[in-house]
Formats: sequence, C-alpha cells, structure tokens
Amino acid sequence: MRLCLQYSKEEEARFLSHLDLMRAMERALRRAQLPLVFSEGFNPHLCVSYASALAVGVTSEGEYLDLPLKGDWPAEEAVQRINAVLPAGLKMVAAVPVTQRRESLMAIINLARYRVEIPLRQAIEQKEAEEMIAQVLARPAYSVLRRGKKGERQVDIRPGLWQLQGWAENNKLILHIAVQTGSQGNVKPEEVIEMVKDTVSFSRGENFWGENIRIHRLGLYIRENDKIYSPLERA
Amino acid sequence: MQQLKQVLEEEVLPKVRKPLRYLGNEYNAVRKDWQAVKLRSLFAFPDVYEVGMSHLGLQILYGVVNAEPDYLMERVFAPWPDLEQELRTRAIPLFSLESLRPLADFDCLGFTLQYEMSYTNILNILALGGLPLRAQERGNEAPLVMAGGPCAYNPEPLAEFIDFFVLGEGEEVILEVFAVMAAHRAIRQGKQDKKEVLKELARIRGVYVPSFYEALYDEQGKFQGVKVKEPGAAPRIVKRVVRDLDQAYFPARPIVPYLEVVHDRMMLEVLRGCTRGCRFCQAGFLYRPVRERSKDLLLQQAEKISEHTGHQEISLTSLSTSDYTCVEPLLQEVLNRFEGKNIGVSLPSLRVDSFSVNLAKEVQRVRKTGLTFAPEAGTQRLRDVINKNVTEENLMEVAEAVFQEGWTQIKLYFMLGLPTETLADLDGIAALAAKVLLRGREILREKGSKQRPTVTVSVSSFVPKPHTPFQWEPQDSIALLQEKQKYLRNRIREKGIVYHYHEAEVSFLEAVFAKGDRRLGQALEEAWRLGCRFDGWSEHFRYELWREAFRKTGIVPEEIANQPLTYQDALPWDHLDTGVKKEYLRREREKAYELATTGDCRFAPCSVCGICQDLDVDTRLRKGE
Repeated sequence: MRLCLQYSKEEEARFLSHLDLMRAMERALRRAQLPLVFSEGFNPHLCVSYASALAVGVTSEGEYLDLPLKGDWPAEEAVQRINAVLPAGLKMVAAVPVTQRRESLMAIINLARYRVEIPLRQAIEQKEAEEMIAQVLARPAYSVLRRGKKGERQVDIRPGLWQLQGWAENNKLILHIAVQTGSQGNVKPEEVIEMVKDTVSFSRGENFWGENIRIHRLGLYIRENDKIYSPLERA
Repeated sequence: MQQLKQVLEEEVLPKVRKPLRYLGNEYNAVRKDWQAVKLRSLFAFPDVYEVGMSHLGLQILYGVVNAEPDYLMERVFAPWPDLEQELRTRAIPLFSLESLRPLADFDCLGFTLQYEMSYTNILNILALGGLPLRAQERGNEAPLVMAGGPCAYNPEPLAEFIDFFVLGEGEEVILEVFAVMAAHRAIRQGKQDKKEVLKELARIRGVYVPSFYEALYDEQGKFQGVKVKEPGAAPRIVKRVVRDLDQAYFPARPIVPYLEVVHDRMMLEVLRGCTRGCRFCQAGFLYRPVRERSKDLLLQQAEKISEHTGHQEISLTSLSTSDYTCVEPLLQEVLNRFEGKNIGVSLPSLRVDSFSVNLAKEVQRVRKTGLTFAPEAGTQRLRDVINKNVTEENLMEVAEAVFQEGWTQIKLYFMLGLPTETLADLDGIAALAAKVLLRGREILREKGSKQRPTVTVSVSSFVPKPHTPFQWEPQDSIALLQEKQKYLRNRIREKGIVYHYHEAEVSFLEAVFAKGDRRLGQALEEAWRLGCRFDGWSEHFRYELWREAFRKTGIVPEEIANQPLTYQDALPWDHLDTGVKKEYLRREREKAYELATTGDCRFAPCSVCGICQDLDVDTRLRKGE
C-alpha cells in the first residue's frame, strides 16, 4: 500500500535543508519499525517521495510525502508510530491511504500558499498596506533573474502569482501569497517578496525594510479547474 | 536565556554556515532540568561539530553521565570562525547546545584531547565562554576545567590552562570524578573551594592536577623533570583501564545528528587496544591490553542502536577490526540480521592481508569503489624497523585480491621521515605503488574490464610521539621533509598513481606539541592571540603566525621537534604512566635499530611490556564465545 502523509516543519527544524530533512525523515521512518519498501538494484534506497523541497529557514504546516509500505497499515497507527520517533520540529499531521492517484505528488501539486512576515523600520496603517499590495498587483509583469544550469535568464513571475494579500501588524507587513508551483511556472516566495519590496521601495525607499524576513508555507495544493484540493483529498 | 535563544535564532544563525551545528535538539540529545541535578557538566570538543559528533568517546561519556539522575552533561563544539565573528560582534558568550547557557554557568567543563592541532581551539572556547585562560586565574566561582584523551598522556603544553587531566579510559573513571565534585559542593551549599576539591580529586587514580607539580629546568633551560609540589600528590599518575569490555557502558541511544557528520553511522566497538606493536603508533601503546567484546553482546548492541537511531550503516570499529577473533561469524550474523532492513556494514581499518580483503568483500556487496591499506614504509628493512609486520608478498596478495574482486582503486598509506630512512626507502614506496598498479592493470585486462586501476599514495610525515619506542627520535626538519616529498613526487611518474602528502609544517607543530613541556603554553597562548584557530584545517592553518608566536615567546620549536633525546634525558611525560614500561620502550627502540621484530602477544609469547603485570589487567580474546 501507499500512504500519503502530511507533516509540518516547525521552528525547531527550520534550519534543515531538504537534504537534512530527508535524512532525518528516513532515520525516523526506520526507527518507527514500519515495513518499509526499498528499491531494487545494487544500491537499494528507501522508497519515499516528497511533494516539494522546502528551503533552509522556511517553516511549514503543509508538507507531504508518499510512503509505500509492505502490507496494509491503518493510517492512524502509522502517524502515531512515526510521531513517537520524529526529532524535534518535525511532526506528522495526518495520513490517508493512496487509492486513486497514480501520479507522484510532485507531478500533481501546482499551488503553494505562504505567509510571509516582513519587518518594517516604521509602523504603517492597514490602508497603506492595502495600497502597497494594489500597486504590486497592478504590475502587468515582473522579471526576476534565475540562475540555472544553462546560465542566467529572466523570468516573468507575474503569471504565476495567483493571489497576494497584505496587512499591517506591529511594524510588520504580513503577506499571504498563493503561487504556482511544480515543474511548470514555478514561483518562489522569495521572488514575490523581491517584487513587493522592489515596487514599494519606489515610494518608500530601501530604508523602509527591516531584517529577518520569515517565510512559512501554509500548504501545498492541487488546483483543478478553479477548485482547490489538498493532497489528502486527492489520494 | 529566552532572549539569547531569540537573538540566536532570529539574527545570528541565519547568517552563519550550517546553523544545525549549534542547535542541540538532535534526536536522543538529553535536556535535563538544571535545578534537579547536583552537578552540571559540559563536554567541550575542540573541533567543529561534524568532527566532534563522529567521536565515539563523546557519545559514551554523554551517555554515562546523563544516565545518572544527579548529573547532567551538555555539549559545546569549537564555533566555526563565522559564528565566532557573530558572537564577538554582539558580545554573546559561547553557550552550550542543549540549554544555551554560557560556559561559566557550568560546574565543570571537560575537553577531549584527540589531536595536538586542536589546542588553540581549546583556548578559544574558554575565551569565548568568558573564562580566564589560565587555571590559576579561574577562582572558586569558575567551572573546573578537565581534559582527557590520548594527548593527555603528555598534557604539559596545556598544564597552565587545565585544572586537571584524567589519564585512561573515561567511562572507567568519570563517575568517580563527578562523585567527588558533587559531594564537595553538597557540603558547601553548591559552592566549591577550588584548591580543596583539586586535592580531593588528586586522590583518584588516574587524575593529574598539574598545579600540584613543578617543572624543573637547569641553568641552560634544559628540562630536568617534574617534582611534586603539593604534599600528598602522587609522584606517578597511572592510567585507568576498563578490564572487561562486556561490562563497560555502551551508548544504546547515541545522538543522531541532523547534519551530515564525518562518520554518519552507528559505531559498534568490537575491541579496544592493539598489540601489533608498530613502534611509531601511540595508540598501540596507550590503549593496551587488547580487550574484545563478545559477539553476542555486540549483536544485542547493534539491535538496540539500530532501533534507537535509524542509522543505515553499522561500522565495526576498533584500532584493527580484522584482528577481532570472532570477526567472521560476527560479520555474517550482522549481515544476515540487518540485510532485510537495508543496513550496511563498514570496516574502518583493514590489515594488509587477503583475509581482510575477504572481509571487505563480504561487507561491500554493493558500491565497489576502493580499499585502503597502510604498509607505512617502502622497504622490508624499514618495515622491520617500525615493526610493521607486513611483507611485500602480503601487499601483492592484497592487491591481487582487491582487483580480482572487482575494486579498481586501492589507497596506500605511507610515512616519510621514519627513523633510519634512506632514499632507498622512498624509492621503495614508488616501486611498490608501481608494482601494485601494474598488477592491477594485468588483472583488469585479464578480466576483460575496460576500467583502469588507480593507486593512491598518501604520505604523512613521521611524528615522534610520547610513550612510544620512537619517543627519543628527532623529527626530520621541515625542509628535509619537503625535499623528501618532492623526491617522491619525481619518482612517481605513472598515470594511474595519485600522490598526496600532508603539509610538513603541520606535522612539525604536531611533534612540537606532542613532545613539548610546560613552557610551550606561552607560545600556544600567543598563537591564539595572534588569531590561530582550527590549525588542523588547511584553510585556517597559518604557519607564519605560529612562527611569530614562537619568536615573541623566545621558544625555539626546532629544539623540541628536531633534536634527538638521550635515555638520560628527563621527558616531560615521565611522571605519567601508561602501564607500558619505559624500559620496554627502550628495548623496542634498540630492536628497531637491530632490524629485529617483536611478535603480537595475542599470538606470540608475552614480550613483557608491563601492562598486564602492573595494571592487573589481561588480554581478553573471545575466540568462538
């Protein structure tokens, strides 16, 4: 059987890279004494597939992985067993058996939501925050520089920015972002932040911004014909 | 503390490389209630996290102490220069990983001395922790600073900085040390009278309090020995030994790092000690006698560690695992039990013989890359001098087995500058490597393989070490070592041989600190002040600063490293007793010059090194148990 598990990466684990997280997860899965599945071949590796990588410093409450198991296991029990042996900052939230879905999580997830906190050097009114967001959304296009294997290239992220909301809170600008994610048209939250800062700095200047931006992923989703599903609903 | 946590997490850690080095919330890390214990200790590892967390001794002592309800032990590692910079800029004192407390909050700190080139990191840790460097400047309020590990057998260069040293195997003695410190504080409302507690500690076998001893010098400044200054202090300090490895504590729940560390696997210690008797090898003399752990206990331990860590690999560790008398059945059973869980096995050190290649073959059913062996010297004559009982035949047998079995790379360790070495011995290294390569080519061709064999020749420089037969030997000068490195470079011409060598300056400083006396502490402190850190890391090693430190303190390091010692000379470590008699070392040295070898007392008659006679221990082999 295959389980789809939702997990969180909390404060205590926020400095883990995706590689660190995969290593920690594999060790926990081994400690949980579940009947894990390994690949065939000379160098067998644990079969587990992740929906999406999370950058160092970013927390999340909506991460997903697919875990094949030998034999049938109640999802609840798997969650309990894994939670009993996970290291600080990682937690299984829920699980369902995968019955319908044939594709990998990575192939079907196309939407990610983030909450971003940007410290400001001065307090702002709610209305000001809303104006800023309106200015950002008014831009028909926004190019960012991406470095890939083939060198640098300019990419317009505006089509992949699906939602942007903002409000003022204790010298902070809080953003809720929904962006396209996955193999096509992927937009990173850092790029949206760059777009916001760049746009607002026109009128406010660079000194407007404080340090230590925090990014938190609220979840990963599947958008199909304007309907949005969680990966657990599309198992 | 809450505030420090916030500053660290919000401002400091996002700016440094690998912040996971400083978190202390790994799986199996122990966080105890500070108020509920009687003694709070800090294990200080004077190197970076990834090195420290690969050290079995840390896991053992951390486990032993934290298993006791009355004590707690936390950890600190040498901060990488980027974190040091952040700490200094913000005036944040260096903190423990588990509870983020500054070093000064602890009752005692324990450094492990694994390597001479980590000494500047010890001073740096003390300084960043806000503690005075010198033991005499730390009063009753400061934590006691102790140190142990192999370099504690000549701790004199650190004598001014460390309150007391512990000789021998830590798990054997640490609870005695803690009991004394805890009892001392218990009757003083949690405070200590430093002089008094050191006196109490000095009564424990294996504890050396350097301030109770005075180093003597003659008018020319020549070292004349160490004299007891404090009435009652023992004239000789004898190491502590675990008699029976089956009874010793082993950590069933070692900390599982988030970060990828140097040895990222579970360590199953199959035996301790080695009596092969290589005359340059300090470990071979320090860790006597050989004590094996029984196979069934090892299997149980493997099950437990695996259950509590989730590691994917088991390493059968020891100084020489092919020497374990039950190695084949152990290996078979470990492989059988853990294969289904896809847990692999690794052997860290291989003896130069085909038996070892067969073991390696068993282990590496997958991922065949290369194997490493250490012939150490290029000619039979020199191998006899150092008592490395390996012949050219052994090596060729190994090479054949390696290439026959499908490996394509072989790595060979050699040493330059060994006593009595001539150019013929260097030629011998080049010739051996060429011969191995040639044999590899023939075999691979016969097998119809398209791959080409690679021979890696890795050459280090001989460092004379205390408590070995070569402790009286001079080290070649840096210039001579470099000349030999270059000579060998020119002798190794074939494509297919990769040649590596160690920086001669580092080996020189290693010799200086291995053999130096108390006066060296000044140079160490000066070097640290000038900015020396992480001297074992080539990217941080700054030899010109070391030269400046020696110049400023009037110490001529060449006199320590490059001058031979006579049997009449007092040695700075003469008062520290490994159990192996000085007379035995002397005899071994003389045999070296006679090209006479000494057998391993596991298989040959006892050569009376003194360890079993004097320390009431014995060699424990498990053979089929």
